[in-house]
Amino acid sequence: MIRHVTDDLYQIGEYVENEYGFEAIHIYVMLNDGRPILIDCGSHIHRESVMAELDEVVGDSVPEYIFLTHSELPHAGNIAAVAEKWPSIKVIVSNVMLPYIEVLPVLPLEQMTQVVPSTTIQSPTRTVEFLSALLKDQPGSHWIYDSRTQTIFTGDGFGYFVPESAVGALSDEISGGIATQWLADYHRVAFRFLQWIKPDRLNADLDTMFGNRPVSNIAPIHGGVIRGAEQVQVHLGRLKTALAAVNQAYWSEK
Amino acid sequence: MTPTETLQEARIFGDGLERVAVRAITPNIFWLTHCLGDLAADYYKEYFAPLPNAEAYAGNRIVDYPFSAFLIVDDKSLLIDTCGPKQQDAFLEALQFCLAGKTLDYIWISHVELPHAGNTPAIKRIYPAAQTITVAGGDNYDLHGLENAQLAAPGDVIALGAHTVEMVDALFVDHGLSQWLYERTTGMLFTADWAHNLHEPACGHCFKFLDEMLETGYDTDTLVEDIKVNAWYQFPWLAWSDGDKIDTAIDRLFEQYDVNILAASHGNIIRRDFKPFIPMIKEGMRGAVAMPFSNVL
Repeated sequence: MIRHVTDDLYQIGEYVENEYGFEAIHIYVMLNDGRPILIDCGSHIHRESVMAELDEVVGDSVPEYIFLTHSELPHAGNIAAVAEKWPSIKVIVSNVMLPYIEVLPVLPLEQMTQVVPSTTIQSPTRTVEFLSALLKDQPGSHWIYDSRTQTIFTGDGFGYFVPESAVGALSDEISGGIATQWLADYHRVAFRFLQWIKPDRLNADLDTMFGNRPVSNIAPIHGGVIRGAEQVQVHLGRLKTALAAVNQAYWSEK
Repeated sequence: MTPTETLQEARIFGDGLERVAVRAITPNIFWLTHCLGDLAADYYKEYFAPLPNAEAYAGNRIVDYPFSAFLIVDDKSLLIDTCGPKQQDAFLEALQFCLAGKTLDYIWISHVELPHAGNTPAIKRIYPAAQTITVAGGDNYDLHGLENAQLAAPGDVIALGAHTVEMVDALFVDHGLSQWLYERTTGMLFTADWAHNLHEPACGHCFKFLDEMLETGYDTDTLVEDIKVNAWYQFPWLAWSDGDKIDTAIDRLFEQYDVNILAASHGNIIRRDFKPFIPMIKEGMRGAVAMPFSNVL
């Protein structure tokens, strides 16, 4: 499903069903003045539909980069199809990743670059900055900030499960927005480490990250975009509530 | 060389980025492992760069980091993890060498990352009756190439013959859907990404058991330091953690399971006399909690 988010930013991809509802497997595309950038490249099980959507969104342009938030198959499983169609594409991954073993071996290693957090990539109309991923299920993960659309791409962070009625919707299209419980269900499943943390510390780092730059959109891979500065603030608050609740539930159960 | 002769020395399949070695931990439990050897210096330079003391890991001491699977051969055979697609050909050859004509009954997956689960489809093509076992909890395993997996929960057991494996609640994980495994007869605990050392190819430590390394230059102070650094890398959430809860959880783990062998995915195997290592693991984890974390916010 192709959704225009804002400016040159598009959300594409599919949903899968699990015991909690429906989970998005998204790719984001920044058209970037004819040199498109992909954030992740989707799942191999959605190859046909995702490749058709990518074709439609980028048109005749050749994507220059995939910025992988991390290399798990729901994020990078479609890389063989992308590499086959656009063999010159370059892949940017976290420095805490070993591309030779953690990414499907379909591209020459010379086309993969590891970057440390704080690295920036410039183009005429945007600066893309790689940030530490505060919520991640693989050490070699990063979050990515795009200055032009003021969007943070958060990989697995800010994911959520939705009922069928909310499949394909962005946050501002869902009555009442994304429920705290949807965020809590997802983060409990994805981040078992939450049992060991002091939530106030993590939440303080989230506040700092979102306070350090203007954020108008949050783009999780496993959810629709949280769109608009006001929505960002509301849902950052809900996420922090969800993280604290998940932590507390672990110890209540024990 | 027969499979049991790898109790003494490694049998190596393939080379370079693809190589996989086999060592027998016991006559019926095999360690199938990939590491880079002489290539480690190039591949780990960026990886270890963020460390406060990076030179200790990618300069003065060039370290390497194995990616391992384990195979229990009994009336039924069970494979713990699969190594990654880059090592597929060598891994399949090594697996068939260890099975020595027997079939594979179970492919047990600790978590879904490629170096742990990525060869499952290829193994299933050779052993189509092998049952994949993953942890229950909410994921859609089709996304990970693990279709038709049987879902397991902590406490579930599988009898293999003389060996019995029990699913263990994985305490310290990166991926949320993770599990550990305990083999009751030998006391082998498989801990996936937790509690492991690093090794130096230049010291001849590739494919060595930890006791062999300790006899040839490695020491327990370095082990504690390695456990600390690996935890810092694997579990960046330690930045916000409660160290007391972690300490208590480690104590409870080793009270619950009588561990004689510690088999981690990314370290050299402690194949006997494990208990003196428990305080070292705890010290390493405490050290990791105390390390500075340099998140770019």
